[in-house]
Amino acid sequence: MPDSALSDIRVLDLTGETGVYCTKLLADLGADVIRIEPPAGDPLREIGPFWHDGKAADRSLTFLHNNTNKRSITLEITKPEGRVAFEKLVATADVVAETYKPGYLDSLGLGYAGLCKIRPDIILTSMTGFGQTGPHAGYEWSDIAGVAMSGMMWLAGDKEDPPNRPYGNQGNICASIDGAAGTMMALYHRDLTGEGQHVDVSMQEALCINQETAMMAYDMTHRIASRTGARGLIPIDLPGIGIFDANDGQVFCYLGTPGGAPWTTMVEWMAREGKAEDLTEGDNYEMVQSLNLGFLTGLVREPEKLPARIKVLGHMREVFARFIASFSKWYIYEEAQKQRLMIGIVSTPEDLAKNPQLAARQWYQKVDHDHLGATVTLTGPPYRLSATPWSMRRRAPLPGEHNSDIFGGELGLSAGEMERLQAAGAI
Amino acid sequence: MTGKHTMPLTDIKVADFSWFGAGPICAQNLARYGATVVRVESEAHIDGLRGVMPFAQQVCPDCGGSGCPKCANTGKVTKTGYNVSGYFNNYNAGKLDVTINLSTEMGKEMARRLIAWCDVFITNQTPRMIDRWGFHYEELKKINPDIIAAYQPMQGFDGPHRDFFGFGAVLNAITGYNELSGFPNRPPMGLGTNYPDYVINPGHTLIAIIAALRHRKKTGKGQCIELAQLESVISTLGPVVMDYNENGRVQTRKGNRLSYASPHGAFRCQDITWENQPMDRWVAFGVFNDAQWQALVDVMGSPAWAEDAKFSTLDARKANEDELEANITEWTRERTAEDAMALLQSKGIPAGVVQNSKDVLEDEQMRARGYFEYLDHPETGRSAYDGSPFKLSKTPGSLRSPAPLLGQHNEYVCREILGMSDDEIAEALVEQALY
Repeated sequence: MPDSALSDIRVLDLTGETGVYCTKLLADLGADVIRIEPPAGDPLREIGPFWHDGKAADRSLTFLHNNTNKRSITLEITKPEGRVAFEKLVATADVVAETYKPGYLDSLGLGYAGLCKIRPDIILTSMTGFGQTGPHAGYEWSDIAGVAMSGMMWLAGDKEDPPNRPYGNQGNICASIDGAAGTMMALYHRDLTGEGQHVDVSMQEALCINQETAMMAYDMTHRIASRTGARGLIPIDLPGIGIFDANDGQVFCYLGTPGGAPWTTMVEWMAREGKAEDLTEGDNYEMVQSLNLGFLTGLVREPEKLPARIKVLGHMREVFARFIASFSKWYIYEEAQKQRLMIGIVSTPEDLAKNPQLAARQWYQKVDHDHLGATVTLTGPPYRLSATPWSMRRRAPLPGEHNSDIFGGELGLSAGEMERLQAAGAI
Repeated sequence: MTGKHTMPLTDIKVADFSWFGAGPICAQNLARYGATVVRVESEAHIDGLRGVMPFAQQVCPDCGGSGCPKCANTGKVTKTGYNVSGYFNNYNAGKLDVTINLSTEMGKEMARRLIAWCDVFITNQTPRMIDRWGFHYEELKKINPDIIAAYQPMQGFDGPHRDFFGFGAVLNAITGYNELSGFPNRPPMGLGTNYPDYVINPGHTLIAIIAALRHRKKTGKGQCIELAQLESVISTLGPVVMDYNENGRVQTRKGNRLSYASPHGAFRCQDITWENQPMDRWVAFGVFNDAQWQALVDVMGSPAWAEDAKFSTLDARKANEDELEANITEWTRERTAEDAMALLQSKGIPAGVVQNSKDVLEDEQMRARGYFEYLDHPETGRSAYDGSPFKLSKTPGSLRSPAPLLGQHNEYVCREILGMSDDEIAEALVEQALY
């Protein structure tokens, strides 16, 4: 068994949606992450999609994805009996990760100061919508409120539509990634000095840098960037740039970029397939030979030539679109990339599942889920570390699956004490 | 500075051979927490972001700021050169900058000395470029046995698509963001940015590098980190791939709607005027449970339509969502986005204004928390930089210097880090190795 980066680290996981991917990242690097679920049921287990569309606590695919390598106990930390058990666990923990409203854990006496009394070098990682301090610290949040307030949502979508929320709860994802990175930084500092600290992640701040250049553009030039739909920054429809329909889906094209093959390569390919039409002739071929980003930038400098050029460019776009439309998206993607033409497949979830590169690299993980009597395919590592690899050691836990291991085995509670806790609704 | 380890990474030395977004942002966060980061560039292989807008402005030299045809009566003109791009600068503050031309033999030797000096090597160059430079882990290890080498190839160092290339916008398409984001009646246009370059890929890389630093501290051993950008992104999209594998369902984009909340979206508010043009304004929110639905009905003043049974449960609202959204918009349209947010928040509904870049820079919450860092730069003047992605209570990171000018620290790096003599530096200039 190779070393793991966090095999010496125990994390108590009190997170909801905003932080559950953070603790997955830590667990997948080897940390002993104990997910603490409310005895009445973990709300994360109610989020679909569900395995075979059957709604049950052990079937949420979202839960199964986000809780790999974790153990689970059911524990109500607000009940006195539960709190005692929690405090015993804190004494054994390195990190507590949570996503409650700022001030909630403090109100229980279990905020950073309270945890330090139990474990002076504890690291508390808090992931919230707007952070622990400031006038909006008490605001409610969800993914869409965070992405809206960060500025990134304003930049996505078509002018005629509402701003687009990015798919996949990116507010939760980014807050979690930054929560994990902040936790790692705090752990490294603790390794050096023995000192723990409070890691404070605001979803709004975590997302802010995703505005790309919009923030700097306002700061430097007082211009407010806004969403421009499919065209991006280029004001006219161009051949080879944007989304094009293949015969079974779409591809995204960005021909003529530096580092990629020129338009002549594209037209040679079209000719080999017998579909270049008249692009190999006259004015059309002249345009094929000169079309690159520099040429496009120069277009505006000779406005008198623009109408004729736009006519040729429009024709090229039509021929190009006909070419793409006569093949499959996978064929276009793979053949184009082999020739260093910058074209990417617009992957559907099916394409992601069948991606040959991921298959060749054996990226997806088939994990036995005994409680389902089935093997479930999970996504693989975001990174491959040669000495301390990411690993898939354990499927996501059932609710309270490790109660007796942890309460009985590790905390040394007797069967009678556990019964008393159970009767009190604490576990 | 009170102790040796004022910042967690004070003793860590980083050779940053990356460019564009995913690599430089990661290295900048290492610098923010104390590492000495040397960014390697070359005029022969310039970071494309140095040439991309926005560029800092200056007072128009023709009119002195009063307005003239040359400056379109704005009184300002754009500065030129390699050092004035806000795009580049935002990802490279706190670093030293040296120009080493890796297409020269002497440049390669200088790079090898930098590799021998560093603890962490990072690059997001393509596998083809790594081949050409001879900078694979096995090669770096011969120069520096304990090195931590972090690579961010687009698709990985092996497999049939090893040499497929792209950038953030192409990755958005390949990873499924385009197909899954936006409205069903629109093409899969993506997110309007090179999204994975900014948090997903640099953030994952940062986690991996610190994991490797911990291991090195314990064992003295380095390692290789390979972050295939394709894998890094799809690892955040597990449930949608599982829904295909386990249930055979091929999800596609659904606008701003969410299966377990209704309403859920952005709702149009009163327009504002910006530079004499109307600008649309929106408030975004979701209703996740019955209590929040009742709160929303209250906030809207209990309109008659909201009492209808077709909106009384989540399932009912999902079934009538077009009508629901139209009805809510009648309420939001009468209000500013800020007022709508405040009203919704006051009743416990998670809501936010769809802020633009101006709003974000002026956001009272982010200001109170000191998120943005304002740094004085010799060519751009004072400008805003994105702040730390997380706040650490005892070791708050900060950018200790603005983005470097191209080659700003050539002499310092050559002399103090690479140990070159004056004669060697002169030779490097003549050979265009220092270029």
